[in-house]
Amino acid sequence: MPFEAKRPALRSEAGDPGGDAAASACALWLNNEYTLAEAGRLPELQVHLSLVDRLRQVTAVRKGCVVLLLALLWQAYAVLLDNDLMFPTFSAALLALYDALVQGELLRAVGTSLRVLAAAYAVGVVAAGLLTVFALTSRFGSDLLETCTGMFNLLPAIALLPLALLWFGLGYPSIMFVIVHSVTWPMTLNIYSGFTGVSKTLRMVGRNYALSPPAFLFKILIPAALPQILTGLKVGWAFSWRTLIASELVFGVSSGSGGIGWFIYEKKNQLDIPSVFAGLIMIIVIGLLVENLLFNVLEGKTIRKWGMQS
Amino acid sequence: MDATSIPESPPFLEVRNLTLQYTTPQYLVTATRDVGFRVARFDRLILLGPSGCGKSTILKAVGGFIKPAGGEIRLQGKLVTKPGADRGMVFQEFDQLLPWKTALENIVFAVTSARRLPRRQALEEAREWLHKVNLTAFANAYPHELSGGMKQRAAIARCLALNSPLILMDEPFASLDALSRSAMQEELLRLWEETRRTLIFVTHSIDEALILGTRIILFSPHPGQVRAEFTPARRNVGPGLRGYELRERIEHLLFQDRVDYAV
Repeated sequence: MPFEAKRPALRSEAGDPGGDAAASACALWLNNEYTLAEAGRLPELQVHLSLVDRLRQVTAVRKGCVVLLLALLWQAYAVLLDNDLMFPTFSAALLALYDALVQGELLRAVGTSLRVLAAAYAVGVVAAGLLTVFALTSRFGSDLLETCTGMFNLLPAIALLPLALLWFGLGYPSIMFVIVHSVTWPMTLNIYSGFTGVSKTLRMVGRNYALSPPAFLFKILIPAALPQILTGLKVGWAFSWRTLIASELVFGVSSGSGGIGWFIYEKKNQLDIPSVFAGLIMIIVIGLLVENLLFNVLEGKTIRKWGMQS
Repeated sequence: MDATSIPESPPFLEVRNLTLQYTTPQYLVTATRDVGFRVARFDRLILLGPSGCGKSTILKAVGGFIKPAGGEIRLQGKLVTKPGADRGMVFQEFDQLLPWKTALENIVFAVTSARRLPRRQALEEAREWLHKVNLTAFANAYPHELSGGMKQRAAIARCLALNSPLILMDEPFASLDALSRSAMQEELLRLWEETRRTLIFVTHSIDEALILGTRIILFSPHPGQVRAEFTPARRNVGPGLRGYELRERIEHLLFQDRVDYAV
């Protein structure tokens, strides 16, 4: 019972002739102090991890290893199969990618694709914004928006290709049309749900300052709905990128400048299968760049910094 | 008519026959019926009552966020029809600070948008207000990096920075832990001595009402109506007999009403 032992120990310190019991209690007390001091030196609170252990904490490194493994499996299988036409090796695909990049053919195709995409994406975002603002100002507007998004969101953009072909003919206007469709509805849905989800309190704060309607929109609603707006932008990007490639594959050429989908289609016709794979790799790389770099950085500078990410 | 008689100057805030209603999908609910009271300048009026007595709704109506179904609210003789920065509001919820702005920028935003001051001047004032609520060290912190008490202090600073003659507080300390709550009550009284505004403060805590109020209006629920009005002893008397008596009477009245709102 060390706690009861303390008191006699202190008394014996003060010169009280306490006898053997007090002396042994004192020893016990000192002993306790000693072990405590010793214990304080024992555990290191921070220990440096070895390089390997630290690398294993990095997700990118682990995922890179997975990619490497898949590439090795691909290479091994292709070598075993030994059929360049059906399934070229990974190294052949990489070589074709390098060639196409150096010759500028692939970069031109990527440029064409991204230009169309950017234009259609911008139109889709603006349309979504206008629809949402209209929906916020009137009950009819919100009914219209909810009905339209409910219906058209279910319609895959590719299903509109035949109609687009009929209305806009072969070429990029048709592709623009289907991409705008693929961006607008998911964007609208997200922005609108973001706006309607803005907390009552924040709205009242904005009204308390008697903000004008545009100021209320730009200074309260849009930043408060930013998490959902960013989600909408991401979903819109994913939809539009897929739609673009798919529709280019169907009829993506006008006056000799095709996009990346067309690049793939053409290479298949020329039986240059490694280049087909090179095109596919390019699509993945661009997708990864946009999603992980662009959107990740954007989120890090805004909603994650503000603690708004749900 | 006697030409020499001076017309009585209007009270600072007058609430007359205020009836407030709201609709649920099934019902039209009357939250308060025929509520009337007056507030003099520099009062600290407490609206006290059990939940469901419509005290928060009355506060929001004074704030202009809810249109009365009947009756009227006049601030310095002027009819209240919409929200405005002459009635600064502090809410219960921690999310009242704009999460995308730092504590400092929250105040700057309030000052620049409601008072239309130039940014440089707004920054200066915002720093002063943060200093007054002891948040200078957290000026550049985002709301999610602040504790609950700090957030409410920042919100109070932001509200006071509006320079509104009338401050409305809707249970601002209700979500705080007991220790922070009593610290905040002290701090609010201290700020009051410095700034001299008129306050309407909603709470369901009798203790809080007795600590903070110069006047207390007790509401009974369903629909909310004025039950009684008290003027507590000055606060430096401490927990004397007066406070104790008052608490007894308020508790007694609340107990009488309990049958009504237990349903």
